[in-house]
Amino acid sequence: MLFHEVYSVYFNAVAAILGEAVSGEITAKRITEIVNETAFSESVLMLPPSLKGEEWMLLGRNLQTLLRKPPQMPLTILQKRWLKALLGDPRIALFAPDTAGLEDVDPLFSAEDFIYFDRYADGDPFSDKVYMKNFRIILTALKERRKLKIRQKNRHGKKISGTFTPCKLEYSGKDDKFRLITVGGGHSYMVNVGRITKCELLDEHNENAMAFIPPAPRTDMLTFELTDDRNALERAMLHFSDCRKETRRLENGKYLVTLWYNSPDVTEIVIRILSFGPMVRVASPDSFIALIKERMDKQEKLRPG
Amino acid sequence: MAYSELIKDISRIRDYMREFFVYGFKNRDEMGGKSARSYDNERRRIESWLADYMSFRQDANGKNVFISVDTRAVARNPLYQAWKAKSFTKNDITLHFWLLDVLSPSEPKPLAGILDVFDGEYLPRFPNADPIDESTLRKKLKEYVDLGLILAEMQGKQMVYRLPEDNVDLQSWEDAVNFFAEAGPLGVIGSYIKDKFVTSADFFCFKHNYLLFAPDSGIMLDLLMAINEHKRAELELVGDKLLTVLPLKIFISTQGGRQYVAASSLQGKRAAFFRLDSIRKVKLLDAVPDYDAYAAAFEDYRSRLWGVAAGDSHLEHIEMTLKIGETERHIAHRLEREKRCGLVDQLNDTHWRFTADVYDAQEMMPWLRTFIGRIETLSCSNRTVENRFEADLAAMTALYGGDGHVVS
Repeated sequence: MLFHEVYSVYFNAVAAILGEAVSGEITAKRITEIVNETAFSESVLMLPPSLKGEEWMLLGRNLQTLLRKPPQMPLTILQKRWLKALLGDPRIALFAPDTAGLEDVDPLFSAEDFIYFDRYADGDPFSDKVYMKNFRIILTALKERRKLKIRQKNRHGKKISGTFTPCKLEYSGKDDKFRLITVGGGHSYMVNVGRITKCELLDEHNENAMAFIPPAPRTDMLTFELTDDRNALERAMLHFSDCRKETRRLENGKYLVTLWYNSPDVTEIVIRILSFGPMVRVASPDSFIALIKERMDKQEKLRPG
Repeated sequence: MAYSELIKDISRIRDYMREFFVYGFKNRDEMGGKSARSYDNERRRIESWLADYMSFRQDANGKNVFISVDTRAVARNPLYQAWKAKSFTKNDITLHFWLLDVLSPSEPKPLAGILDVFDGEYLPRFPNADPIDESTLRKKLKEYVDLGLILAEMQGKQMVYRLPEDNVDLQSWEDAVNFFAEAGPLGVIGSYIKDKFVTSADFFCFKHNYLLFAPDSGIMLDLLMAINEHKRAELELVGDKLLTVLPLKIFISTQGGRQYVAASSLQGKRAAFFRLDSIRKVKLLDAVPDYDAYAAAFEDYRSRLWGVAAGDSHLEHIEMTLKIGETERHIAHRLEREKRCGLVDQLNDTHWRFTADVYDAQEMMPWLRTFIGRIETLSCSNRTVENRFEADLAAMTALYGGDGHVVS
């Protein structure tokens, strides 16, 4: 059963509270802290009173617990079956988890149950040995906060190398690719993991936690007017639901959508906008409208009406 | 009934999350005939779960609530929170922690032995407590055995209970779980496992990630059960329509934010597609003995699908020629990676041809438009497609041709 209280934030919060109560002394203040850290914003109104007021018979009024050991919930069958199912995904080779304990478990699903029908066909080679090795080195660097020396082939096939401070590993389900986000000198650089030919761990980077917050990606905003013809409203709302957006209703079945996107993705956004044809008309900024017009003009010249 | 941030049933909240997340411009009066109180309660719950992601706007039509998230900026899908808001009774939570405390992997106990510990050690600590009755405990034990949290075994003539050996090295799974909880099917289960990690650094971030798949996880799980057990399923669709079908595959769009189940109608006809967010409930029925025949027929059929539109089952031929300059070779690469069941030929130094035979060429229209600026010829055996493309192109030229394009 997927929707069950054993997975709830309340049970998790209470487990954390009781764990601390068993191993030492818990205070009312600490209970509130744990609830605020692990549960919902209004949980503090219900959870601590039920626990402290003995309603749940887990803590006494003196905040002593009757439990003899910290609560440890075993994995459920559902969780084990999900883990087992991951073993059928080609990307699991990148992580090489220990499969012990799952021998007699049926996978919850198989990779063949799913068709990602509009995923690009040039995804990363997840089972390639060099790729796997580089991926694991990158993960180690991220965990141990170490710099990386990376050799790669750029998009023109030219070999380049450099030292990078890794920050995040970004995956795109559409591209089926990983990209390493690196930082340095106040800038952020993307490295396609699939283009890396060699990767070496270097020393720890001395960025402290605060300074290591990567520079926020530069974002741009556009607004477009959407005409709800051929179910365009629903299609566009779902299509752009991976982006930050805000929608206002205008008159006569029209809507004004404000969309924020990372500046380097402008070409991709132009393509996504074009896919909606005349149902979407970019209203601003002029620089984005110019990009659409450029394509329309080019098209007009190719096939003059 | 007093308001609670916890819920008994997740189905109603699916609608609200969708409205707030996908659209976000409807006010309380426009939420599909739901009562004001119901709206206020659901909105308050979602605010409680997703406080950091909720926004509000007041305009002439009233107050609009919406969820706005740049999915690249979040390492964890916030919509999983709904799955962690299941309501429970006082007995549920008490027995959960008492059972985990009293049982162990190595010392099985019979039901009477468990009750003895409860009566002798736990209950006396709470003078006003009601005793735990045997049938309540028996029911809870059965529930936990079904969940896999407790093992039941016969010891002589009596049933004994113990915790299972936890012999999965979760530490070794941490990176995989962090990744697949966001990028894999039924990631909410991974999110449940993630909650077990004391501290887990989020090294991963995700682009083109559709968070709204999360509320449909229950429907997906039921459909996968039907697929794997080769069972027919009764689908209750939005609008109270009931259909009995044989689920075969889950189709996921990585660009459109939609998930579908491909299912056979079982009447010898081709498969149909149903969006997961349009399915209210899935009821599993009996197994179909000749499942493999249906699955094989579908495999053959899907080789000519562009996406999820089946048309009238006649193949339509489409051809598009692109002019690609010497500095635009990435466009040819785009054709190759995005062609799906189509074919790509290089005609000369500057021209590439894409051809496909699909059941519904109309479905290709959005993709074809992404090549605007480079399309030299487009022809389709279905003239409606050709005409629609030309008409849209003319409409777009008109849209961007004048100066009156700014919306105020």
